[in-house]
Amino acid sequence: MTPFDYMLPQTLDEACSAWRTHAADARLLAGGTDLNVALRHGAISTQMVIDLKAVAELAPDLRQVGGALRVSAGTTMTKLSRYLTEHSLFPSLREAADVVGSIQIRNRATLVGNICNASPAADTVPVLAALGALAEIAGPSGVRRTPVAEFIEGNRQIDLGVGEIVAAVHIPLPNGAQGCAFDRITRRRGVDLATVNMACTVAEDGQVTLAFGAVSPRPLVLHDQSGVLADPAAPAEARANAIESLADHARPISDVRANADYRRAMLSVMAGRALDAAHQRLAAEVA
Amino acid sequence: MPAASVPILKAQSRPGVPFGMLKRLACSVNGQPVDREIAAHVTLLDFLRDELGLKGAKECCAVGECGACTVIVDGQPVNSCLMLAVEAQGKTVETIEAQAAGGQLSTVQHAFLKCGAVQCGFCIPGMVMSAEALHRDDPGADETQVREALAGNLCRCGGYNRMFDAMRDTAGRDVHLKTVEPVQGQSLGQDVSRLGGVGRVTGHQEFIGDVELEGMTHAKFVSLDVGRAKLNRIDASAALAVPGVLDVVTGLDLPNPVRRFGPFERDRPPIAIGETHYHGEPVAIVLAESRDIAAYAAGLVRVDHEPLPVVTTIEDALASDAPLVQDPSLRGDDPLAHSNVLKAMEFGWGEVDDTAADLIIENTYRFPMITHFAIEPHGFIVDAGTDRMTVWSPVQHPYLLQKVMAELFDLPLGSVRVLAPDPGGGFGGKQMPKFEPLLAHVSRRIGRPVRLVLTLEETFQAVRRAGARVHVRSGFSNGGDILFHDIASDYQAGAYGDVVSRVTAKGNYLGCGPYRVPNARIKARAVLTHTTPSCAFRGFGTPQVNWAVESQINEAARQLGIDGLQIRLRNVSDKGDQVVKGDVPADGHWLQSVQKAADLLGWDTPLPQGRGRGMAVGIKAGATAGLSNATVRLLGDGSILVFAGTSDMGQGARTIFAQIAADALGAPFDRVSVIMGDTDKVPFDLQTSASRSTVFMGNAISRACEDLQAQVIEIACETLGLDADKISIECGALHLPDGPEPIFSFVQSRIGAFGELIGNGRMHLGGIKGHPLGGAPAFFEFNCTAFEVSVDERTGEVTVHKHVTVGDVGKALNPLQVEMQDEGAAIMGLGHSLFEQMLVDADTGRVRNLGAIDYRIMTSKDMPETLATGMIENEDGPGPNGAKGISEGAILCTAPAIGAAIAEATGLVLHDLPLTPERIWRGLQTKQSG
Repeated sequence: MTPFDYMLPQTLDEACSAWRTHAADARLLAGGTDLNVALRHGAISTQMVIDLKAVAELAPDLRQVGGALRVSAGTTMTKLSRYLTEHSLFPSLREAADVVGSIQIRNRATLVGNICNASPAADTVPVLAALGALAEIAGPSGVRRTPVAEFIEGNRQIDLGVGEIVAAVHIPLPNGAQGCAFDRITRRRGVDLATVNMACTVAEDGQVTLAFGAVSPRPLVLHDQSGVLADPAAPAEARANAIESLADHARPISDVRANADYRRAMLSVMAGRALDAAHQRLAAEVA
Repeated sequence: MPAASVPILKAQSRPGVPFGMLKRLACSVNGQPVDREIAAHVTLLDFLRDELGLKGAKECCAVGECGACTVIVDGQPVNSCLMLAVEAQGKTVETIEAQAAGGQLSTVQHAFLKCGAVQCGFCIPGMVMSAEALHRDDPGADETQVREALAGNLCRCGGYNRMFDAMRDTAGRDVHLKTVEPVQGQSLGQDVSRLGGVGRVTGHQEFIGDVELEGMTHAKFVSLDVGRAKLNRIDASAALAVPGVLDVVTGLDLPNPVRRFGPFERDRPPIAIGETHYHGEPVAIVLAESRDIAAYAAGLVRVDHEPLPVVTTIEDALASDAPLVQDPSLRGDDPLAHSNVLKAMEFGWGEVDDTAADLIIENTYRFPMITHFAIEPHGFIVDAGTDRMTVWSPVQHPYLLQKVMAELFDLPLGSVRVLAPDPGGGFGGKQMPKFEPLLAHVSRRIGRPVRLVLTLEETFQAVRRAGARVHVRSGFSNGGDILFHDIASDYQAGAYGDVVSRVTAKGNYLGCGPYRVPNARIKARAVLTHTTPSCAFRGFGTPQVNWAVESQINEAARQLGIDGLQIRLRNVSDKGDQVVKGDVPADGHWLQSVQKAADLLGWDTPLPQGRGRGMAVGIKAGATAGLSNATVRLLGDGSILVFAGTSDMGQGARTIFAQIAADALGAPFDRVSVIMGDTDKVPFDLQTSASRSTVFMGNAISRACEDLQAQVIEIACETLGLDADKISIECGALHLPDGPEPIFSFVQSRIGAFGELIGNGRMHLGGIKGHPLGGAPAFFEFNCTAFEVSVDERTGEVTVHKHVTVGDVGKALNPLQVEMQDEGAAIMGLGHSLFEQMLVDADTGRVRNLGAIDYRIMTSKDMPETLATGMIENEDGPGPNGAKGISEGAILCTAPAIGAAIAEATGLVLHDLPLTPERIWRGLQTKQSG
C-alpha cells in the first residue's frame, strides 16, 4: 500500500485540529476494519491516518443520558452488543451488531465507524435510522447533532465537514414500550455482507417505522401511514399490501450479490418477519 | 495463559531499504516487551511475521474474512491483517507461538489433534487462536457459540465438524466422532494421529511464505483490469525510481521468442507477450527488497494498452465470428486451430440413435467456474544461476516441475533442485507449473533468489475449475432401466490449455457414471475462453458431467415414480460389471455403498413435513499410469526414514506412509520419519494427484520394506547360521525357530549404530496404447451421497439437515483420516452446489467477484446440521491391505444429490449451479406463475 504518516491524538481538540490541518489528505481511523482494507487495495490512498483510539473523549463508553443511549465513537460492536444484552435494550441493534463480520471484526469495528463508512449494506444503519438515532458531531464550531438517516448522504458519502469528528451516536430511549427487530438476507449463513437488510420499530402508540438497507444509496426510512402494520391481528392481505406499498419506495440495484427483483422481493419477506418479531417483543414488554 | 518466558522466535534485523514513515511501537508480544520502529502503514501481521519472525499467523485473504492471521490482542481475537502495527501501541499481543508454553500443547491444541481437526494446517494457527479465545471466555461454550466463534476462520480442507468436536472435548463434553488412538500393534487400520500435526497446531509448520533465504528478493505482478488487451508501451520509470526497487521485467525483457510451456499444449508464456488473454495475466513483474516496496511500486507501473474483444462464455467462444483466444500459429497442424475448440473427443458404445425408449429426457445443465481457494495462496521461490537452479514451490509434483524447468532452461535434471514445502491445501490447484518459469528468468537476471506470493485475488486469476455446459438426452424403460445416454459436454477452458484437455477426457470418459449403460455416446470439447486458465481440481472433470447425468437419473425416477434409491439399486454396476464397455469392470461392491448411504440418511423413515431427500452416485477414474519410487532406510537402532516424492497437502500421506513402514518393519510408529519434497533427496514420484498416493506410493513403500525384509532375512541367515526357509517375516517380526523377534530389535542387535539397510520399491503402472485415457484406471473412486433438506420458499434458502457420504474405500488404512478427507470433499462439494461461482463480466472479461468478500466458501455456520461419513471396506483395492484412493469421491455427486432433495422439498428442478437462494427463489416464482 502507499505509505502514510500516522498520528495518535490524545484529545478531541487535538484530533479535530489535526483533521482540519490535513483535511483532504487525511483519513480518520477507528476500528480500521474498513479503512485498512481500502488502503491495502488502493481504493483509498492517504498521506495521514489520524487514529482516534487514544482520544479521551471518544474512549469506549455506553451510557444512558438525556433520554438516549449514548454510544461513544470508540465503542466496538462487541462492547455494544454486550451492553445491549445486559440492559435488555434495542434488540434490533444487538441483532445487527452481532452480524457485522466475524468476532474478530466485531472486536475492532465500531458503531460510529460503521456509520461513517457509509456502505449502503451496513447492518447497523437501518436500525439506527428506524430508531431515530442522532450522530453527535464535534467540530470547530462546537457540537451538532444530526439524524443518522440524514448524516449518510449517499454511497460512502457523509455529512461531515472539515475538522468534524463523530463523537457518539445517541439512540433515543423509548417513551413507552417498544418492539424492534432487525433482519437481513445473505448469500450464506456464516459471515456475510447483507444482500439486503432492514429494521422495524413498533412503538406502543402505534407508530411503525421500517428502514431498509442496501436498496438505496441512503437509508430508506418509512413510516406506516395506513395504521395496518400497528395491528398485529391485521388481516394478512391488508398487511401484505401495507408492506408492499412501503417497500415500493426502494430502488434496489443488481450487482454481484443479487439482482434487483430478488432484493425487492426480499424486502417484503424481511418486513413481514421483522414486524412479527417487533410485535412479539412489544407484547412481551407490555406484558 | 502463556508463560512470560516464551521467547520470540527470531528477532530479525531487516537489512532492507527503509520504506514509509517510521513510528515507535512499544508493546508486549507473547509476554515479552517489544520496542521497535516500524513504518506506519505496516500491518500487525507483517510486523509479527517480517520483523519479529513470528510466522505462525498466516496471510490469505487480507480483508479480514479468512481469519488465518488471527491473534489475540488485549484478550480478544482480532485479524492482524486489519490492524496497523502501530495500533498495537501499549497493547498485549499473543500469537500462536505462545500457546504451547513450556512445550506442552494447550487444551485446545491437544483437542484439535485428538479430534482430527487438522489437515493442511494453514488455517490452523488462526483457528486455534479463535478457539482459544472462546475457550478462555467460556470454557463450556455450546455448539452455537462454537460455530459463531469459528465463523471468521475459513478452512478448505475439512468439514468444520472436527473442530466442533474438539471444542466439545475442551468443554468436557462427549465427542461425537472418532478420535486418535495410541498405536497398539499393527498401526494400519487404526486412527493414528497425524504426522506433522504438532507443528501445525503450534504454528511452526513452514509453508512457502515462511521460508527465509539470504538475499531474498520480493516480486509483485503488474496486471491489467481487463480480460484482454494489446500491450503498447510499459513505463516503469516511476516504479524503478522507488528506493528498494531492483528491476521491473516485462515480456520484452525475456528471450525472443520465449519458450512456452504446458503439460499438453505448450502454449503458456511465462508472462504476457504483446497481448493479455485473461484478467490478471501478468504484464510486468516488479522486484524489490521487500514485499511492501514491490507492491507499492507495481502500482506505479503505467501500461499503455488497448482493450480487445473477449469471449468469456462457451456460447460466445463457439460463435462463428468469435475472436480466437489463441493464435493459430501456436497450434501447429491442429485442424481445430482456427476455432476456439482446444480439443474435441468422442467416446461411446452400443447404438444410441436406434435405441427405442419408453421415456426420453433431454436437458442442458450448467456448472460454473469455481476457484480452489486453498487457504494458502500460491507462492514460489526461484534461485536460478546459469548452470543450476533451486525452485521452492508447494507443488503437487516436484518431479514434473523439475522436468519442465530443466527443459525450459536447457539444464540437466540433476541441476534443477525442487524443494516442495507442504502445500497449505492443493485440491489440484497446485498442479502444473504456473509462475516458476517467470521467476527463474527474473532470478537469473538479477542473480538473487526471488519470491512471489500471490494475493488471494491473484490466485483466482491463476487457477480454477472448468465450468461446463452439458447437454444430455437419456432413454429409460418404464421399469426404470437406463437404455442410453447421449451426452454433449463443453468444458470451459481458459486462455491456456493447462490440463483441461485431460480433465475433459477423464471426466467424460466415465460420463455415464457407475452404471450398466447398454448404449452411450459422449461427445466432449474443451473450449478456450479469455478467462483464468482452468486446471486440475478435485474430481478432475467428473463433478461437472455428473451434475448433468445424475440429475437425469433423478428426473427419470421422478417421472417414472421410482424413488432415487430404487433406480440406483436397479442400475448401478456391481463388482465385475463393465461401466465402460470393454474397459476394466467395477472394482467394488458399489451397491453396498448405496444401501449404506440410504441407511445412514434414514431413507426409509417417514419424511418430516416440508423436507426433501435426494441421492446421487459418482465414480472417478484413479490414476491410469505412472511411476512412484520409494526408498526406506532402516537405521541401526531400528528407526526408519521413508523417502517419498509425494506432497502432503493435508490429506495425510505422511501418516499413512509411516504406518506402512512401521508395520512392515516392526518399529514403533514414533520411530518413523517421512522425508518429502526435495528432488535432491527423495526418489522420483510422478505426482500427488488423482488420489493416487496411498495406492502408488503406498505400494512403493511396501515394496521397499519387502526389500528390507529380504535383507534382514539374509542377515539373519548369516548371523544365526540358519537357512532362509527357516525364517519368515510377519507383521514386522522375524519368525525364527526359537520364536519371533521384531525387526526393530533384531536390527539393533545385529546391525547396530554403525550400519543401516536401504530398501527400494516402486509401483509402475504402464499405460495402454490407444486407450482413451492412456491406460486403465488403477482403481475407481465410488461414492454415494444423500441429503435431507428443507427450503424456505420465501427466500430460497436451503437448510441442510442431513448430509451423508459413503465411499468404497477398499481398506481404510487410517479411518480417521479417511473420514476427514471425505468430509472435506463433501463440504467443498456443498460449496459449489450452493453458492460458489466465479462471475465474469462478458463485456470486459473482468472477474467480478475477486477475493473473499464476494466469492463465498463454506463457513462453520454453513455446515449441515449433521454430516455423516460411512465407508465400505472389502479390501478389494490395489493398494496396501486392499486400499483404494479416497480423496475425491465425496465431491463427485454432491450437487445432483442436493438438487434432488431440493426438488423433492419444493417441486423445483434446477439445471444450473449453484443453487443459490436467489436462483431457487426465482425458480419457485416462475413455477408458481407458470
